[in-house]
Amino acid sequence: MTSVVGRVYVVAGTLLAFFVLWAGIAARPWAAAAASDPRVAALDRREARIRRDAAAAQAAAAERWAAYRKKVAARAAATAAAQPRVRIVTIPAVTSTRTS
Amino acid sequence: MLRHAFRAMGTEVELLLDVQRDAAAWDVLRRGEAEVERLEQLLSRFREDSELSELNRRGALRCGPDVVRVVELAVRARERTGGLFDPTVHDAVVAAGYDRSFELLRNVAGDGLPRRCGGDVVVDGEVVSLGEGVRLDLGGIAKGYTADRVAEMLATAGPCLVNVGGDLTVRSGRWPVAVTDDLTLELTAGALATTGRDRRRWRRAGVEAHHVIDPATGLPAATDVVRATVFADTAADAEALATAAFLGAELDVPRVLVLADGRTIVAGALA
Repeated sequence: MTSVVGRVYVVAGTLLAFFVLWAGIAARPWAAAAASDPRVAALDRREARIRRDAAAAQAAAAERWAAYRKKVAARAAATAAAQPRVRIVTIPAVTSTRTS
Repeated sequence: MLRHAFRAMGTEVELLLDVQRDAAAWDVLRRGEAEVERLEQLLSRFREDSELSELNRRGALRCGPDVVRVVELAVRARERTGGLFDPTVHDAVVAAGYDRSFELLRNVAGDGLPRRCGGDVVVDGEVVSLGEGVRLDLGGIAKGYTADRVAEMLATAGPCLVNVGGDLTVRSGRWPVAVTDDLTLELTAGALATTGRDRRRWRRAGVEAHHVIDPATGLPAATDVVRATVFADTAADAEALATAAFLGAELDVPRVLVLADGRTIVAGALA
């Protein structure tokens, strides 16, 4: 009887020790230590700087593209204004408009 | 240049295509003619089985995209011209005697009395609803819309001009178009339409009548203008603006007015 109770305690103790160990490993206590690693911190700073630079480059490219499109539209409008879509001519007509 | 002419919508239709003569080009022209016929079948008030006639009979109808689009264009044109162009002149033009296709107009009917215009026209999605007693005549703007649609089709083959009884649209190329005996306009894009009382006119009880109704009076318009020609981006717009110009609107568009005393006034960007 005593040995049975003892076995139960041993099994329960083993299970408890297993879960405590599992929780300890799952908490990754070494991760905080790694974050404080100066090389990792330097990599993080570099990544952040690269992200900022990329965003700034994208914004500059978008601004230049918008300016380019605006210039193209202005040039197209100037061309259209220089060449009216309708004008009076003195050449033979191919057809006529009349009361519909 | 290829030229294909035929009669439709109670008038002469002309399709000009500036490409090499080959089977593909002729095929495009034939498809253009089929499109004109299809649109006439939908938009003619003279065909009992047209969608427009059905709408006029019922007062409200779920319509196909073409009828919905033309009604929307007509309503927008009525707003833009302050009511000078009005698609609700149907009863007024019938009362004036224009109750059948112009080629069949022999013994003029109609009482010649004015009819009220400017009734309600509501487009809600695919459903077009008309006010009590309102009927639509989409005649001129339907011709303009047809010219625009067919020009879109022909433009896939090359520079083109589509002329539906004087409402004409061009796509690229250079197209000299006679407006009067002495005046020719060259178009490289856009559209031209003419509204007037020198054709489609008749006598009723000794009084001359014509098809351009003044919505303010509900009668054929009494004006010194014989015909008005207007340039616009599309033939549908040009048609509505030409009607407004004929009825005396001061428009900021290239236009030509021929007056009863023989004078021709060139205005807008053409002056």
